[in-house]
Amino acid sequence: MPRLTVNGKQIEVPAGTNLIEAARHAGVEVPHYCYHPSLSIAGQCRLCMVDIEKAPRPTIACNTVAADGMVVLTETDRVRETRKSIMEFHLINHPLDCPVCDQAGECWLQIYYMQHGLYDPRMTDEKVHKPKAVPLGPHVILDAERCILCSRCVRFCDEITGTGELGIFERGDHSEIGLFPGTELDNKYSGNVVDICPVGALTDRDFRFQVRVWYLETAKSVCAGCARGCNIEVHVNRRRPHHAEGRRVARLKPRVNADVNQWWICDAGRYGFGFVDDNDRLLAPTRREGGTSSDATWDEAIGAVAAALRRLSPDEVGVIASPRMANEDLFALRRLLDICAVRRVGAQVPPRVPGDEDHILIRADKNPNSLGAELMGLGGDARPVLDAARARQLKCLWIFGHDLMASRWPEAEVLEALRAVETIVFTGTNANRTSERAHWVLPAAAWVERDGTYTNFEGRVQRFRQAVEPLGQALAEWEMLDRVLAALGEAPSATRAEHWFRRLATVVPAFAGLSYQALGDTGRLVAGSVAARAPR
Amino acid sequence: MTGEMILTRNFARSDAHTLRAYLETGGYRAWAKAQAMEPTAILEEVKRSNLRGLGGAGFPTGTKWSFIPKSHAGPVYLVINADEGEPGTFKDRYLLERDPHALIEGMLIAARAIRSATAFVYVRGEYVEPWRRFSSAVQEAYAAQYLGHGFDIVVHRGAGAYICGEETGLISSLEGKKGWPKLKPPFPAIKGAFGAPTIVNNVETICHVPHIVNRGAAWFAALGTKTQGGTRMYSVSGRVARPGVYEAPVSITLRQLIYERAGGVTGNGRLKAVVPGGSSAAILTADEIDVTMDVDGLKNAGTMAGSAGVIVMDETVSIPEALMVVARFYAHESCGQCTPCRESTGWIYKITHRIVEGRGRKEDLDTILDVAKRGAGTTICAFYDGAVGPYISYIEKFRGEFEAMVLK
Amino acid sequence: MSEGDGYPGLTDPATTVFSEAQLAEVRRLQSLYPDPRGALLPVLYMAQETFGWISLPLEEYVATLFGLSPAHVHEVVTFYTLYFREPPGRHVVSVCHNLSCHLAGAPGIIAHLRQRLGVDPGETSEDGRVTLLSVECLCACEAAPMMQVDDRYELNLTPTKVDRILEGLA
Repeated sequence: MPRLTVNGKQIEVPAGTNLIEAARHAGVEVPHYCYHPSLSIAGQCRLCMVDIEKAPRPTIACNTVAADGMVVLTETDRVRETRKSIMEFHLINHPLDCPVCDQAGECWLQIYYMQHGLYDPRMTDEKVHKPKAVPLGPHVILDAERCILCSRCVRFCDEITGTGELGIFERGDHSEIGLFPGTELDNKYSGNVVDICPVGALTDRDFRFQVRVWYLETAKSVCAGCARGCNIEVHVNRRRPHHAEGRRVARLKPRVNADVNQWWICDAGRYGFGFVDDNDRLLAPTRREGGTSSDATWDEAIGAVAAALRRLSPDEVGVIASPRMANEDLFALRRLLDICAVRRVGAQVPPRVPGDEDHILIRADKNPNSLGAELMGLGGDARPVLDAARARQLKCLWIFGHDLMASRWPEAEVLEALRAVETIVFTGTNANRTSERAHWVLPAAAWVERDGTYTNFEGRVQRFRQAVEPLGQALAEWEMLDRVLAALGEAPSATRAEHWFRRLATVVPAFAGLSYQALGDTGRLVAGSVAARAPR
Repeated sequence: MTGEMILTRNFARSDAHTLRAYLETGGYRAWAKAQAMEPTAILEEVKRSNLRGLGGAGFPTGTKWSFIPKSHAGPVYLVINADEGEPGTFKDRYLLERDPHALIEGMLIAARAIRSATAFVYVRGEYVEPWRRFSSAVQEAYAAQYLGHGFDIVVHRGAGAYICGEETGLISSLEGKKGWPKLKPPFPAIKGAFGAPTIVNNVETICHVPHIVNRGAAWFAALGTKTQGGTRMYSVSGRVARPGVYEAPVSITLRQLIYERAGGVTGNGRLKAVVPGGSSAAILTADEIDVTMDVDGLKNAGTMAGSAGVIVMDETVSIPEALMVVARFYAHESCGQCTPCRESTGWIYKITHRIVEGRGRKEDLDTILDVAKRGAGTTICAFYDGAVGPYISYIEKFRGEFEAMVLK
Repeated sequence: MSEGDGYPGLTDPATTVFSEAQLAEVRRLQSLYPDPRGALLPVLYMAQETFGWISLPLEEYVATLFGLSPAHVHEVVTFYTLYFREPPGRHVVSVCHNLSCHLAGAPGIIAHLRQRLGVDPGETSEDGRVTLLSVECLCACEAAPMMQVDDRYELNLTPTKVDRILEGLA
């Protein structure tokens, strides 16, 4: 553990730490472009120059390993002058088209120019011209003139995905990043190159020109696209609602969690939020009678569900819960089922197409909370519930989220089941072919519209936070379950998801000792999880 | 001051490149002697000889060899830099074509000193004839059993990129990549070609080694100056009566080289400027040529010995035009890897081009000087510092000529 | 193309791959290096000598021989000046324009060649005979101005000598 000083502050860092990371330990930010903690050291941008005592001139921090007794200075006059010069070099051939650049506001050329540049431009000659607005693939578009050739995107495709689509071609100031002609950047993680591009060279085709980034608000969240639970930020456009046709969720961005997703998310997760602002969102409780649907109030809907539960014997009620529900929802449901003694319950419905999986992040299980459902005792196969319905044993079937019609179950059998049940209740965010057949539809808030937690496949319990208001009258599942419980005579207990979490932590052993505070931003492992026993 | 011809002694023989001719003139005797020497003894001998790298950097050769980790168990590679490309330099072409066995013998000895079993000779792609000549010599050496018994030579052709003359750019290229120089540390002696400890030496440097072994370090050291032993091959071109390769002790002065060896200045006969060590060396004015042509002599004169490519300019030569030609070269050859070099070599070429075209502005000169000085020392490799040599020296030493152009 | 007689540029190298003998040579070259990738430059030369130039499909083919992504082969091909990315003429004439040759009159030699061939540097004469290039130092400064014609260095050029050389090119 070398001890060194950075700007006079003494620190101790693990052996092998470079000076950018060492400076971070000391609370000092060394400006840089090409360095990325998860990629190989390129040393190309030359911006991370620092002074090391006794060295003849500034040296790059990214390729210098902290050594015992090193005295590092990041703000000497000559370091500042060098940074300023490097900034000028970076911008010589840059088009300086910030007003029409989608990166504006989160561009590290802008930021560092203001912090470290502030020189008077003196480049008056014709700049080098390169390809502009080139779609690289389904998600990413390139402006080669804005590129500072930091090679982060190239290294990402070489070192993280191993797909090698990108290269730096030609040489000198005609060097440009690009694809082998005729190919696409279409790997499962392609959107990450936009995140790691420090400038406006690689932008997101989905997000581009939707809204200026300074109008965005941010909430820390967790991707709901698979059992990995990648940490994300949800970027929401509330302040310019007239942009993007009222689309509130502007984009999802990965949030660093060394134990879960490092710096990355997959494209499926990144672009999988379209349903949130889709036209088929369920906005109000509805009742369907004799083929016609009509809006109902929540009181009517809750009343109807409660009445059914009261009226029917437990064996006449079936519930297909969902591993897409949050821990809080599942625990509230668990409570309701216990009170009503309902035992016909399952959560796993086989997908029509088996999920893809890889060795990076993507899990075949596309549900964010399968393990949570299991720990809550709700994770079982839902097939017996379907079969009970087909056997006309059920009078009420409550389906959470699933589109049974789109599952691997034969459609005829699903139809048979749905026709055989007197009262079908559907809770979900969007209409589907199952909700169309429900007698009561209870609109649920999407995960970005509420608080909650998921337990990922390794047993990591992670919080997701509300980023936008629920659309229409949608409620989080725990809220509607709370109301049903109240209608059944339970004292109303929760006004926030956290309240349910507190209760589940006292009841479900795996969650013992966990709280929202303890989960923090990066989550905690449940007791007894494989990951908890074998730290990586 | 002519002195003894060592490296060039056989150049006059039309069959100098053959094994027979090499053996007739004492070839491979040093290798026989070296085989009886401990590797460390060879290394020490080379250290004491004050042999310095003749490719450009002038680093002490024996010291470089000593950087190979003693405890290293895996392969060690010897790489010969025959990627001659420094403008004004052509000596290695002569050695490859006219005395290839000297290089092979030197490699055998050097490989023994650094315990290398495999060597790569990186010949610039344009050198087709030198490559053929050298490859034939390698085949002869295999047939004669000098090679193939614990030491192999792979001849590798470059494909057109000046930067591959930079030792780590060369290594990248040898590895089948773009010739992007590598970050240092690690240095090649620790982690070089294919991740193994590697010594990269210039052709001429290694050609000296058999003579050092044959005749001793003291003899070699005495040929030169206090800090650099031996002779070296000066490539003299430009406005001189007899352009060509001249071997001379490194203590020769630039004046002697121009007037006594190369026959004096042509054009209008009056010397204006000299580039003493390839285009990356700072230019010298006519009154700066009483300088010894060793590494330290030229360093003290504010320039560098570099590859010993001497380009002579008489008074009729336009220095701004010369700078434009040189700036075009650096802009074309910048590998593009790191920002200061990639961006400013192109910019500076544009400015010099504009000046020569008569569209220069007064502030251009200070802009070039400032940009060059700010970029110097900030890059991955020495290429940009090499470009800065001419940028700054041409303008600072001939500012009046530039000003006359920009103020027109 | 580097041979004196030249190779025709193929219009569709996609259908053309190395022969068994050439594949054996590829494997031999790859075995010379601790990492087979070291043979990429030599194998690209082989490809160019066989097909006259290095087309994109050929880059892709070579990539498969090395298990590389085509982008990485493209990086290499675009980095070096001696790989032709379009079919060159039957002969390639590369005139040095660096300092020593410049001082010795290279601009005049280039102007002469432009006029004789009717092309600018980087272009190929209409009859497909000669590709003219203006290149950086070829390190034969003692014989400036000079140029490379295919494999040969042609030294101490004058317009008359250039004419004679051009006449010798079929």
